[in-house]
Amino acid sequence: MEHAEKSLVVGKLITSKESIHPYVTTRQVAERFFNIQNLDALALVEENMPVGIVTRTKLLFKLFRRYGFELYERKPIITISDKNPLIVKEDESLDTAIDKALKRSPEDIYDEIIVTDDSGFYKGLLSVKQMIIQQSNVLANSIIQREMANAKAKEFEELNKIKSQFIANVTHELRSPVNVIIGLAELMRVSAERGYVEQLKDRISLLMSTAINLRAIVTNILDLSKIEAGKMEVIYEHFDIVTLIREVADTIKVLLGNKPVDVILNLPENSLIINSDPVKVRQIITNIASNAAKFTEKGKITITLEANNNNAIVSISDTGIGIKDEDIEKLFVAFTQLEDSKTKRHEGTGLGLTITKNLLNLIGGNISVSSKFGEGTTFKITVPSKNE
Amino acid sequence: MKNSKKKILIIDDDEKHIMATKEILENEGFEVYFHLNSFGATNSAIEIKPDLILLDINMPALSGDNLSKLLSTNEKTKSIPIVFYSSNDEDTLRKLVVEHKVKGYICKGNISELKRKVFSYLL
Repeated sequence: MEHAEKSLVVGKLITSKESIHPYVTTRQVAERFFNIQNLDALALVEENMPVGIVTRTKLLFKLFRRYGFELYERKPIITISDKNPLIVKEDESLDTAIDKALKRSPEDIYDEIIVTDDSGFYKGLLSVKQMIIQQSNVLANSIIQREMANAKAKEFEELNKIKSQFIANVTHELRSPVNVIIGLAELMRVSAERGYVEQLKDRISLLMSTAINLRAIVTNILDLSKIEAGKMEVIYEHFDIVTLIREVADTIKVLLGNKPVDVILNLPENSLIINSDPVKVRQIITNIASNAAKFTEKGKITITLEANNNNAIVSISDTGIGIKDEDIEKLFVAFTQLEDSKTKRHEGTGLGLTITKNLLNLIGGNISVSSKFGEGTTFKITVPSKNE
Repeated sequence: MKNSKKKILIIDDDEKHIMATKEILENEGFEVYFHLNSFGATNSAIEIKPDLILLDINMPALSGDNLSKLLSTNEKTKSIPIVFYSSNDEDTLRKLVVEHKVKGYICKGNISELKRKVFSYLL
C-alpha cells in the first residue's frame, strides 16, 4: 500500500487543462490572464502538441517593463514564452517529475509543468508545488499509518490485559462468596447436629447475606453479557417508584449487617407512578445503594426521591470513604476498580457501575456523582417517565 | 494429650472464611489459631509456632504469595510448611506453589479436600 502511493503518477495530479494557440497575440493572452483570476499558466499547444508555456508572472513581468506592453502586445505569444518547457509523461512517478523540475536552471523553474501522454499529446499542466505537497502528504500518511498501527497494537494489548485481569477478578469474586456459603453450610450442619439453635440462627443470617451478595454479582455478570450481546430489552410498565425504593432500602439494611450505619429515606408521602422498566430501575438503584453500603463503615446512607417534570430523581448519599477527584472519571469505565485486584480491600467485580450506566442509557436516564474523599459520596440518578 | 495436638495458623482477610475453616478443623482435633490480614502475621507465626500455615492469597496491601516469601526467608519461620488456601482457580494456585516453593495448595470451598490435605500435609 505504501509502495503504491510512493509511485503515484503525475497524470493523476493534473491541475489544469488550459492551453492556447501559439500565434494568439500577447495582448489577448494578457486579457485572458486578467479575466481569469486563478489562471497561473497557459500551455502553448499546436495540433495537440505542446510547444511552449507562458506563466502569469513572467508575462506580466515582461509587459509591465518600460514600453513592454507596446513592444509585445501585438506579437504572437510564442515569441515571449518559454519554448523549452519541462514536459513529463503522464505515467511518470512523482519523485522523478519533482527531480526534473528542480534540476532546471533557476530562470526556468516555475510552478507549472506540461504533461503529455505517451505519444507526446498535450494532457494538461501540473503544479510542482502541488506535487511537493502531495509527496509530503504521502510521507505524512505513511508515518501516520505506522503510528496508527502501533497505537492499534497497543490498544489490543491493553484490551487483552484488561480481559485477563477481568477474568482473574471475576473468578475470585464469584468463588469467594460461593466458598463462604459452603463453609457456612458445613458449620450449620454441625450446629444442627449439636442442637445449638442460637448459633444456627446466626449462621443462617450470615449465609443469607452472603447469598444475596453473590446473587448480585452473578446478576451483574449476566447482565453485562446480555448488554454486550445486544440482547437487553426494555419493557415499560407503570409502577410506584416509592415502593421500589423502600424495598431496595430493606435489602441494603440486610447488607449492612451490624455496621453502625443508618438508612434514611426522604420520600414523598404518596406514591409516585412512573412509566419505565421497573426491573432495571430496581437494579440501578440497588447497585448504587449497595456500593454505598459496601464503602460506608459508620454514619448514614440517605435516599431522596424528587419529581421533576417527567423525571424521577433519586439521590443516594453516604458518609463513606469517598472518591478522589482523579478517580471520578475512571468510575464508569468497565472492569475498573479503584484498587488493585490482589490487594484490594473491597469485594466487587468492577462491573456494577458500568452496568448501571448501560442500563440507564437503555431507559433514557443518566447519572452524576459528587464526592469528597474521606467524607462521603452522592450519586444522582435521573429516571425519565416515558410519555405514551 | 493436649501437647500432641497439631497447631494450625490461618492467615486470611475474610473473617467468615476464618470462622468456618477454624471450626471445621477444630472438629477434626486440631488446635487452630488465626491472624487477620498480613500485617503482623510473621510475628504471630513466631509466637504460635504452628505446624502448618494456611495462607490466603488475595489480601489487602500484602498478598499471600508475597507474604510467603517473607515467611520462608525469616530464620524463625522458614521451617513452617505453608499451604496456599485460596478462592483463586486451581491452575493459578498450582503455578504459585511452584513459583514460591511452598508445600502445596488447597482450594477453598471443598470441605473434604480441606480435611484430607491438612491431614496429609501434617503427616
